[in-house]
Amino acid sequence: MRKIYIKSSAICCPNAEVLTQFELDGSDVDKTLIPAVMRRRTSLTSKMAITAATHACEKANVNPEKLPSVFASLGGEIQVTDALCRLLPDKDELLSPTQFHNSVHNTTAGYWGILNHCQKPATAIAAVDDGFAMGLLESWSQLQQTSGDLLLVCYDELWPQYLAAPIGKIAFACALVLSTEVDNALAIISVPEIKPVEKSLNKDWCDLVNSAPATAAVPLLQALKQQESGLIPLNINAAIWHTYLQN
Amino acid sequence: MTTSPKIKAAAITAYTTLNACGLGKQALSQALKTNQSPLAPLKLFELAFNAYVGEIKQPLPDIPDNLKAYQSRNAQVALAALNYEEDGVRHVVETAKQRYGAERIGVIIGTSTSGLYETESAYGYLLKHDETMPENFNFVKRHAYQATGRFLQLELGLTGACFAISTACSSGAKAIAAGQRLIDNNVCDAVLVGGVDTLCRLTLRGFNSLDLISPEPCKPMDANRSGISIGEAAGLLVLEKQSDDNQHCPQLLAVGESSDAHHMSHPHPEGLGAKLAMESALNLAGLEASSIDYLNLHATATKINDAVEAKAVYSVFADKLPCSGTKGITGHTLGAAGALETIITLLALEQQFIPATTGLQTLDPDCQCQVLTKPLLNQPLKITMSNSFGFGGNNASVIVAKKS
Repeated sequence: MRKIYIKSSAICCPNAEVLTQFELDGSDVDKTLIPAVMRRRTSLTSKMAITAATHACEKANVNPEKLPSVFASLGGEIQVTDALCRLLPDKDELLSPTQFHNSVHNTTAGYWGILNHCQKPATAIAAVDDGFAMGLLESWSQLQQTSGDLLLVCYDELWPQYLAAPIGKIAFACALVLSTEVDNALAIISVPEIKPVEKSLNKDWCDLVNSAPATAAVPLLQALKQQESGLIPLNINAAIWHTYLQN
Repeated sequence: MTTSPKIKAAAITAYTTLNACGLGKQALSQALKTNQSPLAPLKLFELAFNAYVGEIKQPLPDIPDNLKAYQSRNAQVALAALNYEEDGVRHVVETAKQRYGAERIGVIIGTSTSGLYETESAYGYLLKHDETMPENFNFVKRHAYQATGRFLQLELGLTGACFAISTACSSGAKAIAAGQRLIDNNVCDAVLVGGVDTLCRLTLRGFNSLDLISPEPCKPMDANRSGISIGEAAGLLVLEKQSDDNQHCPQLLAVGESSDAHHMSHPHPEGLGAKLAMESALNLAGLEASSIDYLNLHATATKINDAVEAKAVYSVFADKLPCSGTKGITGHTLGAAGALETIITLLALEQQFIPATTGLQTLDPDCQCQVLTKPLLNQPLKITMSNSFGFGGNNASVIVAKKS
């Protein structure tokens, strides 16, 4: 098995209190990262994911054009899908073709590739509460085959609350550049595995994950910032996925 | 030059499908060999335009009481396929569970719209009831992309990795790729992979907004092709690490993946992404182009997609490789297509035939590759490829081989 390293992390969270509460660094959406024509077409979810991904690539000093990518999100383009679904009960209502192709789960992955001229494989996964864990597992798994760097982005935006409250009360995106190369690495991670819980999970974090699934990444992001090593939980479920992080 | 493979082949120890042709491998291979299309006008819901579809007509099984919250057409279609005894997918998963342990078996399912069909009806209620969803509405368990995969995991009592891949029309092929990697990396010993997608209003009306729905049964690669016929299907495959016990099974050699980086709904004009996916699959499998005996095209029957795919295929295989597109039989089953069409290539290997391009009458003169109009029986096939290309410029090519 190859060793897998983390080269950088970045967070985009329009809700600054979350960053303060969990002592994390992050930014709001940076619209200037996206050309005007694409900016009009992309949702908050894509803008957040692209902001976090761009910052992670800058911090790791890697060229996004060269990186395969894994995008993990529970709802993906939920606002676009919601707007289309509201038109469907009237069978004569016409849908916007742009909105339709922007409703697919891999919309962000598609725009990311177009923006960065990246022809490497891009995938879009979903796993409800396990999204970050499965995103990390899929990234680890891909890097076993493809040496070099890989971009993992985990994100979910604000949701209409009639869909699955409290999910989607807080919007959050984070990105990691993972690598098979040790140069400039922040930490090394083990393959994500289910392990018994050693200590009880932080309640504030569990509450946060219930309203923002992508914040499952928070303990790992905190450990990276504080340069702490240890077993890191990747979800809040009965079956707890963990990775071992060594700074 | 043939080189060594870059990824270990996985055994395909069982596979099955439910689609417009009916339940199981036999119904599909029968339709392919006789070139009989079940495409017909849509019955499931009302539309303001005409559309031929590959609709599943048979009654679907009830979701078991303990998992009722997962009730959706998508989950029901998956369950029907899982339970089809003749093809034995459930039996093979249960045997693998006893052999390897529940935690060593993954579930990775591709889908484009998951349980959206039920959500569409719920929105009808929402708009009439002061922004309140019906009582039985459960977005996470019915509609979320991972809902059907999670349902299958719980129904089978598995506890390994479980996620959905949703990259539009390449979803099913990419689920197969992810499953092969988890076995190659020793995270799993077996993975239930595949694609499940069911008809819904958003998809039909969305493709219609792009002017891509054919008013007649689709005619892939035809000079007069007029667009897509949408279909619905489950395609399920069990991948296992190779062992003495499964030497007789067909093998998954490799899946090549790429991105167009061009446009959300138009393919790269020269088919560059498609070419990269096919070349990557060959490279990962350690094969040269001449090793492939049959290619199942993505061939959706839209003007631009077929033209671009033909260019890409010609650039890799010239006119040497027999190709066909089978969406005239199944319809375009979107997130299930990559899995369903991999299954079609497995049937071709198992029964040694090449399917026709059903619906094709006059080959587009610009298409220089060898596209078949009639099925060919008694073909000595050993290795096949299946192409899947989706919105967002997301491409995957799957290579499978007959038992070694």
